[in-house]
Amino acid sequence: MQSVDISKKNKKTLIPKNSRLFIVGKTSNFVVNVFLACGAITVIFPLLWLFNSSFKTQMELAQNPWGIPSTFTLDNYVNAWVKGRMGRLLTNSSILTIVTIAITVLVSPMIAYVLARMKFKLNHFIYYFVIAGMMVPIHSIVIPIYMNTMKWNMQNNLFTLGTVYAAFRVPISVFILYGFMITIPNELEECAIIDGCGVWKIYSQIMLPLSRDGLISVTILAALSTWNELLLSSLLLSEPKLQSIPVGLMGFISEYHAEFTQLCAGVLIACIPTLVLYAVMQENTIKGMTAGAVKG
Amino acid sequence: MVKRKNKAGIILLFLLPGLLLYIVLVLAPIIQGFILSLYKWSTLHSSHFVGFDNYIAMFQNQIFRTSFKNSCIFMVVTTAAQVILGFLFGYFLSLHLKGYRFYKTVYFIPAVLATVAVGFIWGQIYSPVYGFIRPLMKSMGLGHLYTAPLANGTSALYAVIIVQVWGHLGVQIMMFYSGFMNIPQDVIEMARIDGAKGYKMIIHMILPLSWETTKTVIILQLIANLRAFDLIFIMTKGGPYHATEVLPMHLYLEAFQNIRIGEGSAVGVVIFVLCFLITVLTRKLMAREVIQY
Repeated sequence: MQSVDISKKNKKTLIPKNSRLFIVGKTSNFVVNVFLACGAITVIFPLLWLFNSSFKTQMELAQNPWGIPSTFTLDNYVNAWVKGRMGRLLTNSSILTIVTIAITVLVSPMIAYVLARMKFKLNHFIYYFVIAGMMVPIHSIVIPIYMNTMKWNMQNNLFTLGTVYAAFRVPISVFILYGFMITIPNELEECAIIDGCGVWKIYSQIMLPLSRDGLISVTILAALSTWNELLLSSLLLSEPKLQSIPVGLMGFISEYHAEFTQLCAGVLIACIPTLVLYAVMQENTIKGMTAGAVKG
Repeated sequence: MVKRKNKAGIILLFLLPGLLLYIVLVLAPIIQGFILSLYKWSTLHSSHFVGFDNYIAMFQNQIFRTSFKNSCIFMVVTTAAQVILGFLFGYFLSLHLKGYRFYKTVYFIPAVLATVAVGFIWGQIYSPVYGFIRPLMKSMGLGHLYTAPLANGTSALYAVIIVQVWGHLGVQIMMFYSGFMNIPQDVIEMARIDGAKGYKMIIHMILPLSWETTKTVIILQLIANLRAFDLIFIMTKGGPYHATEVLPMHLYLEAFQNIRIGEGSAVGVVIFVLCFLITVLTRKLMAREVIQY
């Protein structure tokens, strides 16, 4: 009955700190902690091992696969950077990501704004028509896209690929932004109209700033999915100098599969941008990636 | 909602750029994919109409049937694992024990890593040369039972499933976590006063109150796992002997390795129809009275 007392002290959070939903004693508490710790170890251990291996020489890894490296060397990183053409890959992926984000952030909020704030006949139809796209698997369109871009000579072009990505971001982005824009109070818009604001001004000065969190989520989501996309980029970017991070990394791994420690360094280099993004904007990243679960 | 003149023009102007992109690059290709599947492609540039021959050939293809079965196993097992583990860990996090913020941060890390990286890491864990499964089994005296998980036809699919779960579980954990956070405190409080404890609390309170979350996670994951391609492409390329060939992998191999565009497109249509059916059916099957609180 001690649990009731504890929860009374913390009325702020929905489920209070130290709430005992079903755990009564210290033993259960301990069991949960063990579970949580095991989960964390399962996540961290492989990553730590990768990190650790990336500072070893090939020789040392064979002799001492588990321990910390005896001599600390950055050679692997230098080699991976040069042999894996990491500079080129990072540039390409950055361009791709920027193109995708730019187009997504330009077109999606406009659709969301009209659908969320204006009454017209086809409103609901268009909304469901757009968000139905979240269900479309990329594999159903990959062959036609491949054939078309080949026919129109648009392969090996970062802007083409970025545009295709952006088109695929439209449904989820509209879905997220619609959720934000529909909650903005009507009064704000009415005031703005009385003050003589045009539609564009209302959109850019009121709607966009007020759905800032949604825009951040949409941007992060677009960035992560573009940065990590493999199938389309491997098909549409066959020229080595245009390859994106995942494709280049795959080539690097199969080409130098014997030089294992170098690969570890290369894989880590490729992961740094998304890890930094996550470290800096943890809450927003999580929100963006779980946004699909907000409602049906 | 505000009324104004020339509204139609404004609406059109705002909708057009995005809708155009969406229709031209997402919807039209689906229809085009269906049309492509009705043709026989002798090369990438010449074709002739054959009606539904590609579909007949596809269903008679033993490899297609294998990959269909693999896709079903992959989809159901992965989703089950993600829902159960996600629920469990989401619940553990929602207890807000000491250090839960740290666990939250850690659990989400694999979800932001590139699939190529995840595939590489686990490829090494499973590898007989560098991996630590072999030494682990040896130390337990089970060394003679060891086979490389990805080289063995019966274990390969499950080995990939483990990696798929590892790589995405953070997302499901956080979905459940935020679902649990939305359950009002007083309802739980009441139940506790009425004597709900332990597993009863979970079954009679937490589960029904977070049913919407559970439903959403199941639908999202079923579709996401039906689409899973990257990891299999990186780790096994569908091998050994088609043991891990799921439908998207089958499509890739048919269309871009065997250059059978027609058959590949037919597989694409099947994947689309499956996604559609799963969404509609799971929604219907799991429709349940929404509990108001």
